[in-house]
This record gives sequence, structure tokens and C-alpha cells, in this order.
Amino acid sequence: MSSTTTITKAAKARPAAAPIEVLNNDAARLYTHIHPVLLFALYAIQFKSIVADPVPALIQTLLPLSILQILYVSICLPPTGSGSHPPAAKPGSRKKPGANKADSGATGKIIPAFLSLLLSTAAAAPLIAITLILFGAPLTTHFAHTFLCAAHLSLLASLPLVYVHGVDGERWREIIGLLLPIDEVFGAAIGTVVGAWLGAVPIPLDWDREWQKWPVTIVTGAYIGFVVGKLVGGMLLKGRKIVFE
Amino acid sequence: MDDGEPLPSYEGLAAAFAKAKAQKEKEEAKGLRSRTDDAKASNKQGELRFKASHGLLIAFFSWILLLHILGIYLFTSGFLLTRLVLEQKSDCADPPVAPTKSFLPGSPDAGCWHPKTFEKAVVIIVDALRYDFTVPFRPSNSGDKPHHFHNSIPVFYETAVQQPKNAFLLPFIADPPTTTLQRLKGLTTGTLPTFIDAGSNFAGTAIDEDNIVAQLRNASKRIVHLGDDTWHALFPGYFEPNLTRAYDSFNVWDLHTVDNGVNEHIFPLLQPSNTSKWDIIFGHYLGVDHAGHRYGPDHPAMSAKLKQMDEVFRRMIELLDDTTLLVVMGDHGMDAKGDHGGESDDEIQAALWMYSKKGNFGRTSPAYEKPPLTAKDRPVAQIDLVPTLSLLLGMPIPFNNLGAPIEEAFVGASGKDFENLALVNRLVAAQIHRYQHQYALARGLDETARSTSLSLWAAAGNTWKSITTTKRPSQKLWERAYGSFSAYQTETLSVCRALWARFDITSMVHGIEILVVTLVILGMYSRGLAGDRTDLTPALLLRGVIGTALGVLIGSVLGFGIPSFPLEHTLVFCTGVGSVAGIASAFWYIRRRLTSPLPNTIWGWVSVIFTLALSIGFASNSFTIWEDEILLQFLCTFGALMLVSSFRQIKLADRALGCYHSVLFIVLTRAASLSRLCREEQMPYCKSTYYASATSSTSAVWQLAIPFFMAFILPNIIRAYYKGTRSYQGSALLWIDFALRTGLLLSASFWTMDAADDGDWFPRYGSLLKTSKIILAQIVFAIALAAGYSTFAWAGPLLSIETRTRTSAQEVEDPSQQVVSEGGSSSITILGYANVHGSRYALLITMWLLAIVIVQKPMGGGAIGLLGWQIFSLLEIIDTNKLSDSSVGPVVLGLLGSFYFFKTGHQATLSSIQWESAFIPLRTIKYPWSPLLVILNTFGAQILCAIAVPAVVLWKQPPKKKGLLGDVAKAMGTHLLFYAVINLATTMWAGWLRRHLMLYRIFNPRFMTGAVVLLVIDIVGIFIAIGGTRLSFLSVAEVFGWN
Repeated sequence: MSSTTTITKAAKARPAAAPIEVLNNDAARLYTHIHPVLLFALYAIQFKSIVADPVPALIQTLLPLSILQILYVSICLPPTGSGSHPPAAKPGSRKKPGANKADSGATGKIIPAFLSLLLSTAAAAPLIAITLILFGAPLTTHFAHTFLCAAHLSLLASLPLVYVHGVDGERWREIIGLLLPIDEVFGAAIGTVVGAWLGAVPIPLDWDREWQKWPVTIVTGAYIGFVVGKLVGGMLLKGRKIVFE
Repeated sequence: MDDGEPLPSYEGLAAAFAKAKAQKEKEEAKGLRSRTDDAKASNKQGELRFKASHGLLIAFFSWILLLHILGIYLFTSGFLLTRLVLEQKSDCADPPVAPTKSFLPGSPDAGCWHPKTFEKAVVIIVDALRYDFTVPFRPSNSGDKPHHFHNSIPVFYETAVQQPKNAFLLPFIADPPTTTLQRLKGLTTGTLPTFIDAGSNFAGTAIDEDNIVAQLRNASKRIVHLGDDTWHALFPGYFEPNLTRAYDSFNVWDLHTVDNGVNEHIFPLLQPSNTSKWDIIFGHYLGVDHAGHRYGPDHPAMSAKLKQMDEVFRRMIELLDDTTLLVVMGDHGMDAKGDHGGESDDEIQAALWMYSKKGNFGRTSPAYEKPPLTAKDRPVAQIDLVPTLSLLLGMPIPFNNLGAPIEEAFVGASGKDFENLALVNRLVAAQIHRYQHQYALARGLDETARSTSLSLWAAAGNTWKSITTTKRPSQKLWERAYGSFSAYQTETLSVCRALWARFDITSMVHGIEILVVTLVILGMYSRGLAGDRTDLTPALLLRGVIGTALGVLIGSVLGFGIPSFPLEHTLVFCTGVGSVAGIASAFWYIRRRLTSPLPNTIWGWVSVIFTLALSIGFASNSFTIWEDEILLQFLCTFGALMLVSSFRQIKLADRALGCYHSVLFIVLTRAASLSRLCREEQMPYCKSTYYASATSSTSAVWQLAIPFFMAFILPNIIRAYYKGTRSYQGSALLWIDFALRTGLLLSASFWTMDAADDGDWFPRYGSLLKTSKIILAQIVFAIALAAGYSTFAWAGPLLSIETRTRTSAQEVEDPSQQVVSEGGSSSITILGYANVHGSRYALLITMWLLAIVIVQKPMGGGAIGLLGWQIFSLLEIIDTNKLSDSSVGPVVLGLLGSFYFFKTGHQATLSSIQWESAFIPLRTIKYPWSPLLVILNTFGAQILCAIAVPAVVLWKQPPKKKGLLGDVAKAMGTHLLFYAVINLATTMWAGWLRRHLMLYRIFNPRFMTGAVVLLVIDIVGIFIAIGGTRLSFLSVAEVFGWN
């Protein structure tokens, strides 16, 4: 390699990210296992009406999904910049107002949780919707379907990520670059994306099933992927890193 | 890269010497220090060495191509249906059963086997006359409006309704493949077509089976033929030479020449003064078919054409005398876009209309009085024409016939003459029985295969016996006899359909074995060898060729020596086995260099998974139908993975460039996906955008803007990729900015003129437009290939040397320029140094891009433009992520090629072949150019991607890098591997699913596409891509030397 430039210096100075640990209390350790069951139950109850008429049913499901996800992150996970996640406590990353009061009890968790909800619906969902369209979702029709599908994906995948990692640019580069060590939050996010990807597989089959309609399989795949990814990431592969080469 | 830093310290003489030597080599490498004679000689040697290993590489890949051909040939010969052609002919004096009562057979004057009804006949084929053209339009929903093809040719329906005794109109179902040559065989012999015939459509061969034309000729009838010249290929010398007029059939852009020619000669012959000159006229109109191919059925031109035909037949009815039969039929239908060849309903549903002034046609039921509203009701098979026409004209039924007499023609005007129906059906059934018996003898089949039909035959015999023993058989009894003979015919026909779908499993399995082993060889060669491939190629090739030669020898000994071994099969298979044995010994010989071909990076796995997922998907008809959407998702996934990978890059510049190009790659893929031509099975979930509408094959006016837009934008985009490494120098200026742009502009003008010609925008300048657009197309080809190849062959590397005063240190950092000499205040820099190989070779991509754009419709041209852009962005992605050694580049190029195949208006179906592209730069069919043009149109996307493969390993590589040719071989091997896997998978699935309902609709066309693509890409990859690297390497070495 030719002589090094100075660009990478800043990145080098950062401490390496550690896997996210579930908060060290009984409620957190218990609820982190209950959460996937509740999510599944919610989806299973709604499944019939989603198949029958996706748009209203997906809208209806958004609220309980948000509540479950907010409960999950505020009970089980350390908010961004909090003490249980020491490497993130850098002066540079203290841009979020909520992060400053991270130490204090319920408000210190609920506020970041709602901020994450806001960010993931306002910023992540449109991005995911665009991605879905780029990957072949209908371009001129089914906008509501596609956007709602994206909203579900972002609530599943990005809400917990925003909650634990905040909006630090360099950290998000690591998230998109799959450079973080695997933990249950990151695993669940990857699982959601992979599940949604695999959800596209049965669409073209000529089985003439009602549930093959857009975007039922994608959302189903995402829910399954979230649960599987969370389990695998939180237990089997915890702390591992994804290697490309 | 070079280490520009000074060594920190020198320890002793050795280090100093080494440094001096390195310095000298470095300067020599840059081609600046004058060389000694020794250096010159060794340079010469290096060149020779390169040429030798390049030649060996081409030979090695050609040997792989040979193995592919052998494997595909062997499989195909067992897979595509085969039917034994019996030589026997029916004889007028030899009816298949004893005649009845009063009638004495044997005289063509009274009727050979049955009393004849008509003296003469006029048999007209209106090519592609679909059944729904001929019946009145009935809206299925209240909002439906008639299309242009509706209600335009009412003569058939009108006469059948108004004079039911004189005329009838019925749906006439073709046996696929629905190509004219196959149909003519079916219509004259009465046998089922076999798929192997489909391959011989471009050069039809004479029919040697018994057929009605031959029977007529034997009976010394004077036969006149007018129209489509395919007849002359099938029946050479059968027609009255002074009355017959044949016209070229393949010029689908010409709607009128054939039809006007037929009209000009047929009407004089129908005049009472001339009717004594002939006995039978076969007329073949092509206008409707050509209007369909050119415009699609829903176009004013189709309406006009049908109206013209309507008038023609009204005139014929007027002129017809009382003893002449007039038969008009379509040989096949057409799909929604006006094409045909497959087996969709629209393609097989033709119309049959018979007319005579005798008034002896009838209907067995009053409900049948009117012609059926749709082709689903009361259809007759096209093979039914042969026995019907034979018996009506008093001819013997051709020996191989399987059809049945058409009820309406024999039941009598009262509709009650079941005696006659029973008699003709008995004759037909008996002839079929005789034929089946002979066929079973010749083929050595045992009788169990047709036990049901034999029992039906016995039952029919019993019924007949009861008739002969009854004094005055009742009408009921005759009806029963008719029913039982016709049941035998129906059953035999279905047995034959199943029987001739027989496959030669041994050939198929042997073919697949050869393909599998070739795949393993190719896989080991491209992914399982350590180091430079070029120094192993001689050993591999030598042993492989020795093996092949031994195989040929053994094969011919076995083939000639053992009679029970079919010669061809044995020869081909032994050649394959010998080759494999040879290469296996070669792999043993070089075993130290073998490594595991399994991937060891995520990229390797991505390539394997994409390829395998696609291949496994071809086992399902749904995934085969939706291949285009699957490829879209795979390519976007690749782009997304590249985005992820780019985020992992340490250098900011790599990261930014990688992200930009990855996002661009995804967006371009999605943009290209908007160009679609749906196959029938994708309906209703797909909307075609390739043409103006789903029922047309012309471009919309707005689509004509696409090529112009591209002509302005594309050269600038390519220029930007060259400028990134300061390679926009020398010949690139002239080629990209001027020649390519001019070519693209001319191609855009061609398509505008073509649209003007199609739409008749300037009615008075029609012929001028035709001539000038052809010249335009020829100029584009001359620019792309003649001017392009001369540029590519003779241009120097795209470098420029700049002398300037000392610049800031930062600029020296830029790898695209190389400072070679610094002295005092000025420095000499080589611009374009970093990408000298890539930029030089990529010129070849742009030339072929132009040649492919001209043969695509405007929408397809736009898609190819996007493909070109995407190829360059892929090259950048591969470079910024340092993946030039990985399999992912060549595999993604394979995916891209397959994806754009669909985006240029193609599908894996016979009917989507754009035959008219043969006429873009030519007026008539010219071999070998016309088939080559069709190939360039059909597989343009894959061809362009194959040509881009060497660029993946050459892009931004230092000029003196060792083993680049080996890298090219590795990349090309990987690319071929992708297509070989796809081909193997589609072959295996087609063989495995040979009893599947969708075999001929989906799996067989996909297998044929896969096989043809593999062979085309083999040839393009070997001779255009690897061949092209020779020129670009030589050119780079001119400057940088060989050592």
C-alpha cells in the first residue's frame, strides 16, 4: 500500500464496540424471552385480517407493535450512552438531548424509547420503503401496502438499534457495514432483513393462496426473522463478528 | 504498488546494489530507460511467450466448448421427440378393408376407396388466421370494445349461417409447435409433429412420408401452387411449373407482395376458360401473419389486411364452379403480440372453412347450425383435413394419417347420412390400424402399449359385423358403427401422442454425464487451481486432446464394430469419456497445484448461492416464469451487499466511491426493470412496457426519444469513468466522444425512420425511407465493428505524458498518474497509468455496445445503454472493494446478462424471438448474417456482459502486474461456469420433468435457451473477449515491454 493518509486516524481513536448486554435485573432477563412470544402472538392474532385486507390490518397492528417494542427496549436494553454500555460514553456522541439524562429511572428510558420510535418511523421507514421499491415492490401502485410493510420492518429492526446506539454517524456506519459484534439487538435487525428477503420467495409460486399477496409474506418473514435473529444473536453467535473476506 | 519511500538506511554493499538494481528495473518498467540489445531480445521472447500462452488458452476453452456441444447434442438427441418415418405409401387399388356392397374401389376417376364428391379443389391457407378473427365479436364484459382484428373478415361466418348446406366454419386446432413448416407437414401428412422438426425450420427439407400432395400427383392430378415458398422446400417438383408462383416467406416486414402475387395469378385460373388447366390449387397468403409479426393483431393494418382477404374470398365464391371445393384455413393462430411458435390457446386456434356450390354439407344436430362462438366448442384437429380432403377428392388416405373425417363434410345435407359417416370412418380407422401395425413391427413395439386401442378395434369390428348381417341396418346401427370407429381413431391418436413423447433415456443420461463432468473440469480450472493458470494450460490441453483423440478412436471402433451400438451416440459419448479421462490424468499430473474449489469468502459464497438458487428454481414452473423478477432481486441484493462492504472500507475515498456506485448499481437495475415484455403465463400480474401496448409489436412515439437521449448521455457517462483515472486520452477521445456518439445518434435515427415507415407517416416516401434506413443501419455496423476494431487493434494505450513544473506533493499521491522523472523544477508524469489495461480493453465493450444497440428496439436499446453504464459501475465497485480475484464479478456479470435478456424484450419462449431483427441492415435473408443478427438481438445482453468479463480483472491493474492473462482465464472460466451450471440445471429439470404438463410451454423452452446461451457465450467469451485481450495486451506491451 502506498503511504497512509490521515483519514483513518479518527476512526482508530474510537474504542471498539462491545455486544449489547440485556440489563442486569430480573425483569429484563425475563421479559427479553417473553417479548418474542408476545410479538408472535400479536402477529398470529392479526394474521387473518392482514391476509384479508392488508392496509387497515397493518395499520391496526402498528400500535400494539410499537407498544411491545417500546416495552421491550425500555425494560430490557440499555439506552444509548448509558452506563451499562461504557464504550458509547464518548463526549462526541452526546448530541442527543435524551441521552444526557440517561441515568435517571423510568423517564431516562421512556423518553429515548419514544425518540427511537419517532426516528424509526420518520427516518428509517421511508428509507426502507424506498429500498423495498428498489428491490422490486410495485412502483406505481400499492403505496400504502409498501409503506406499511416498511413501517413494520423499521419498528422491528431499527427501533431497538436507535435506542441502544443513538444517532452517532460512525456507529451507524458500523451497523450498515455489519462491523458490530453480534448481540440480540443487532441479530434481531439482521434477522428481520433476512426474513423479509426470504419472504419474497413464495410470492411467485402458482399456489393461488390468499396469503401470497403483497406484502403479507414479507411482513411474516420479517417477524419470524426478528425472533430467530434475536435468539441466535443473543445466544448462539453472541459477540461474534461478521467477516467478509 | 510502488514503494516511493526511500529506504531508511543502507547496511553494506549488498543493500546498495539491490537498491540500484531495483531502481534500474523500475525505470525500465516505466519504459523510459533505453534498453540494451539483451533486453530487446528478452522482450521479444516475452512477446512470443505471451502469444503462445494466449493461443493455448483459446485452444483450451475451445476444447471446453467442444465438450459442451457434445453433451448438449447427446441430451438433445434423446430428449426432443423422435418418430420413425415409415416409407409405405397408400395405394389406390389397395383399400385397408374389404369394400362394401356395390362400390368397386381402385379407380381415381370414381374415387379410390370411397366415391368421390368433388372433381377439383382450391385449398387456401391464410397464414395465422386465428379463429376469433372469423366469428363476430361478442363482448364478455359490458365495457369491452371490438379490437382491430374483430369483425373484419365476416365472409366465413356469414356464408356458414346463411347457406349451411354450402359452407361450414369450425375451429381448427394446430398441434404445436405452431410454425408454418411444421403445420404444413401436419396438414398434408396427417401425422403429429415431432419437436426435432422444429430445429429445421430455417431450412425446410422435403417430406418423404406419404402425403396428400404426393397422392394427388400419383393420380396424375395437375397441382398449382401460389404463395409461400416453404411449399417448394417440402414438395420439390410436385407443382405445374408454368402456372406455379412462389414467393419469399421470411420477409415479415412486407405485407403485400405475397398476397398481391397470389391474387394476380389465382383469379385468372378460376375463370371458366382456364379451369381445365388444373385440378388442385394450393394458395398460401402470408399478409395476415406478417401484419401480426410486424404490428400485432390489434392494429389498423391488421384490420385492413383482413378486409382485403374478405373481399378476396367473396370474389372466389362468385367464380367457383359446381364441382370445385373451396377450403380456407389458418395454419396456426397468433398470440397477443402477433407472434407464434408455442402452444398457447391463441397460437393453436386457427379457423377452417369449407365451401362448395353442391350443397351437400350438413350438421348432425340443429344446435350445430351456427359456427361455434369460441374455439373451445366443437373443434376439429388440423390432421383431420388430410382424410377429409382425400376422401372428398377420391384419393387414398395417406399411409401415416391419424386424423378423422370431418363430420360436416360427410353427413349429407340432411344431417342424417350416418351410413356414409360410418363408411368413411371405417376406412380411416382401418388405415390407421394398418399403419399402427406396421409401425409396431418396424419399431419392435409390443402390443401391450396399445391394448386399449386394440380392444376398441375389436369392438368396432363386432359392430360392423352386426351391420353386415342385418338386412336393412337402421340409422341407429350406422350411428353406433360410426361412434365405435371414431372411438378407435381417438384412442389411437392419444396413444400416439404419448408414444411419440418417448425419450431416449440413455442418450439423455449420457449427455447429462458429459455436461456434469465438463462442469467439474471447468470448476476446477477456474476456481480450484493455485497460481497462474496459463502455465498449467499446456499440460491440461495436451492430455485433454490426447484423451479426446483416443475417445474418437475407441468410439468409432465400437460404433462400427458392434452393430447394436448406435454409431453417433457411441462416438459422441466415447469422445466425451476419453476427454474426461485425459483431463483427469492431467489434473493428477498437476495435483500439487490443485486447491479446494469451494468458496472461502463471503463473496465466493454469494456467487455460489445466487447461481444455485437460480438453478434450483428452474425446477419450478413459477420460478422459471418469474426469472426476470428473481434476477432483479438477486442483483439488488448484490448491490446492497456491496453497499455494506463499501461501508467497511477503511479509506474514505474507497468508501465514498464504493457506496456511490453500489447505490447507482441498485438504482440502474431497478430503472432497467421497468422495461418488460410479459410472457403469457405472467398475466395478469405483469404489464408489458416494451412496445406501445400489450397487443402490438411497434414502439410508442415517446419511446423513440430514448435512443436520442442515450446518444447524448451515454458517451459522457463512459467518459467520466475514463476520466476518473485520467485515461481519457489518445484514441478514446475520438472513439467515445465522436464515433460512439455518432453511431448512437444514427441508430436512434434508424429507429425513428423505422417508426415512420411502420406508421406510414410519409406515404409518398415509403421506399426512400426503407432504403435509407437500411443504409443507416449498415453505417452503424461499419462504425461499431470496422472502425471500432481498427481503433481497438491499432490504438496505443490511453496514456498521455505531461511535463510541468513541480507541483504540490498531494498530486503525486494520485495513483492515476505516475511521476517518472523528477529533475530540478519540472517533472514528467504519465497520465492514465493506473488503469492502462482496463481503459484499453474497455474500448471493446463500447464497440460491441454500439453493435448491440442498433439491433434492439428503442426500449431495448435504452436497456443496453443502462447495462453499459452498470458494467462500468460494477468495474468500479469490484475495484474499490478489491474483489478482482473473487468469483463475484464474473458471476454478477452472468446475472446481469440474464437479467437484461428480459429487459431487451425477450422471454424464454419461442414466440418472443424477434425475427424481424434480421432485416435491420439487410433487405433479404442472407446467410450467415441473418441468423447472426437474430442471435445478436436475442442474446445481446449476455454477449455484452461476456465481453466485459476480462475488464473485471484488468480494471485499474498496474501495467506490469504478473499473471494478468491467467486472471483473465480464471474470470472467463468462472463466467462460463455460471452459464454451464444454469444450462446443466435446466437440462436436468427438462429431462426429469419430461412428463410434466408444462414441459413444452416452460421447461423445454428454458432448456433450449440455456443451451443456446451457453454455446453463444462460449464462443463470444473465447473469440471476442479472450481474443480481444490479445490486442489490448500487445498494445500495452508496446509501451511497457513484456518483462
